[in-house]
Amino acid sequence: MQRITIDPITRLEGHGKIEIFLNDEGDVANTYFQIPELRGFERFCVGRPVEELPEITGRICGVCPEAHHLAAAKACDAVYHVDPPSPAKKLRELLYSAFYVTDHTTHFYALGGPDFVMGPDAPVPERNILGVIHKVGLEIGGKVIQARKYGHTVIEMIGGRKVHPCTSIPGGQSHGITEETRQEIEKMGRWAIEFAQFSLKLFDDLVLKDSEYLGLILGDIYTHHTYYIGTVDENNKVNFYDGKVSVVDPDGKRIGKYAANEYGDWIAEHVEPWTYLKFPYLKKIGWKGFVDGRYSGVYVASPLSRLNAADGLATPLAQQEYDRFYCTLGGKPVHQRLATHWARLIELLYAAERWVELATDPEITSDNFRTLPTEKPTEGVGIVEAPRGTLTHHYWTDERGIVTKVNLIVGTTNNYAAISMSVKKAAQNFIHKGTVVTEGLLNRVEMAFRLYDPCFGCATHSLPGQMPLQVTIRDARGNVVAVLKQHC
Amino acid sequence: MKTLVLGLGNPVLGDDGIGWRVAEECAMLLADALHIEVDCFALGGLSLMERLIGYDRAILIDASVTQHEPPGAVHCFRLEELSDLAAGHTSSSHDTTLTTALQMGRHMGARLPDSILVVTVQAQGVSEFSEELSPAVAAAIPQAVQVVMRKLKEQSIRQ
Repeated sequence: MQRITIDPITRLEGHGKIEIFLNDEGDVANTYFQIPELRGFERFCVGRPVEELPEITGRICGVCPEAHHLAAAKACDAVYHVDPPSPAKKLRELLYSAFYVTDHTTHFYALGGPDFVMGPDAPVPERNILGVIHKVGLEIGGKVIQARKYGHTVIEMIGGRKVHPCTSIPGGQSHGITEETRQEIEKMGRWAIEFAQFSLKLFDDLVLKDSEYLGLILGDIYTHHTYYIGTVDENNKVNFYDGKVSVVDPDGKRIGKYAANEYGDWIAEHVEPWTYLKFPYLKKIGWKGFVDGRYSGVYVASPLSRLNAADGLATPLAQQEYDRFYCTLGGKPVHQRLATHWARLIELLYAAERWVELATDPEITSDNFRTLPTEKPTEGVGIVEAPRGTLTHHYWTDERGIVTKVNLIVGTTNNYAAISMSVKKAAQNFIHKGTVVTEGLLNRVEMAFRLYDPCFGCATHSLPGQMPLQVTIRDARGNVVAVLKQHC
Repeated sequence: MKTLVLGLGNPVLGDDGIGWRVAEECAMLLADALHIEVDCFALGGLSLMERLIGYDRAILIDASVTQHEPPGAVHCFRLEELSDLAAGHTSSSHDTTLTTALQMGRHMGARLPDSILVVTVQAQGVSEFSEELSPAVAAAIPQAVQVVMRKLKEQSIRQ
């Protein structure tokens, strides 16, 4: 096979590029995918007071500012060696639970749902929220808007703004909530629980009871046997805001849990010469390449991953759904990535229940919402679960609290290796013995990205069927066999 | 007749902040205007649609990243004229396009603008974190502001 060097390209012109190399038999030997990243964030942060970062990191991409805000807030607490009082943590988690309801709702009904409810081969114009409304009924649109409105209202009540919260400060919150506000929050939360149950029933009726869809979920496409990670509380139940990160192997066995400041012992980053992206992997297992299995350090962080890495959910209705999930899919862990859509709805229910739990907690209206930091700032790590994966913020400062270095592992970064593998698998399905089935290749490749609900460059800012993508296929001598393009 | 002038974009992503900068200039000129509100916004899709509820007319200002345009080029379109709303950062894979979101909102009976204009400024770079605009893009601010003010005037004459 002729050797070809792929340079990491500084400007990818806003679209993703995939290079596929065939072997002498005309089958896929290797795939390399490159995507444009948003760059220079660390440089942008250095020199700023660290307490600005909860505000700034919320501007990274606008998709989950709440997640960045809270990861940053926790990192700031750690930098200042201060532990916020319990009411502050509960306020943050309450805000976060409402955010999860908003985000998971929007994702399911506007994106994941359409892919599913309309089917992955449905024409692009139908694969959106309008298609779902058309199929299910007008009232669902109203409920989606309502869920978003309630979520944004709670975020504003606790976080100061509807989407970009600004009230988390080192040591806690800048304000608490009144009893009047608390009652409103509780009321909206109870509506959210009903809505989550409605959504699960919808999924049940439209997807699980349809043997073709069920077959799709249970099928092999995008199935990978990898490690899974997710944050759990002290009872090993899923928690989005706080706890330790649980790591389980492809057989579901837990190999350990790490606290925020221990992430460096667990996660390392592998470098490839053909891309600026780095590939996180489990240090204790080691990097063995883009392969499945318990000897490979590749891992995934996602709603599915969180359920796999935990022993259950801390709220009763969601726990019932969790049991049903694993019963239907044949036990733990579940490796079929399409099941992520179902896992997301179960998390939606948990988030709504947790919303009400926290809104009815006696401490939630307490005046004790901040502990003043007194120690010199140095270095700290904050970890939360972003909807699309474990989010890690690591800051270093000088003794005045001015940022000297920043390292972030955002949700999607955890999944870079797994995405590569899904892309390769998709390519292999459509290329045999030198014959390329162009119809469907781009779609399936795009689906491989979207399953992971990615958060980078062009993939974030495009829609089903419209992600700017160029796929180049070369034979064993390096000659170009085919170039497929969409939207670039 | 309520009008919203909305600067779109991410203010820390280089030229993606042009929409906010133009809107801020417009806000100063429109400080005493009745029934015209000026604001800045960082989101697209459903959130953007929700922000437009209650207005009769809207002018959106944003960076464009089309091919073959020199940085700083200013254009004005009706929303319906823009073919691919997935371009740039006005929508996301976690959301819908503005067009789809508007259709949905109208289905739901929300009061949404009859007319939405989009004023665009061609960006040089929107992939690098910075609070600065490229020189060519910054130089286009006065022209973009003029376009917005002219469109507002045309609309009020037609009333």
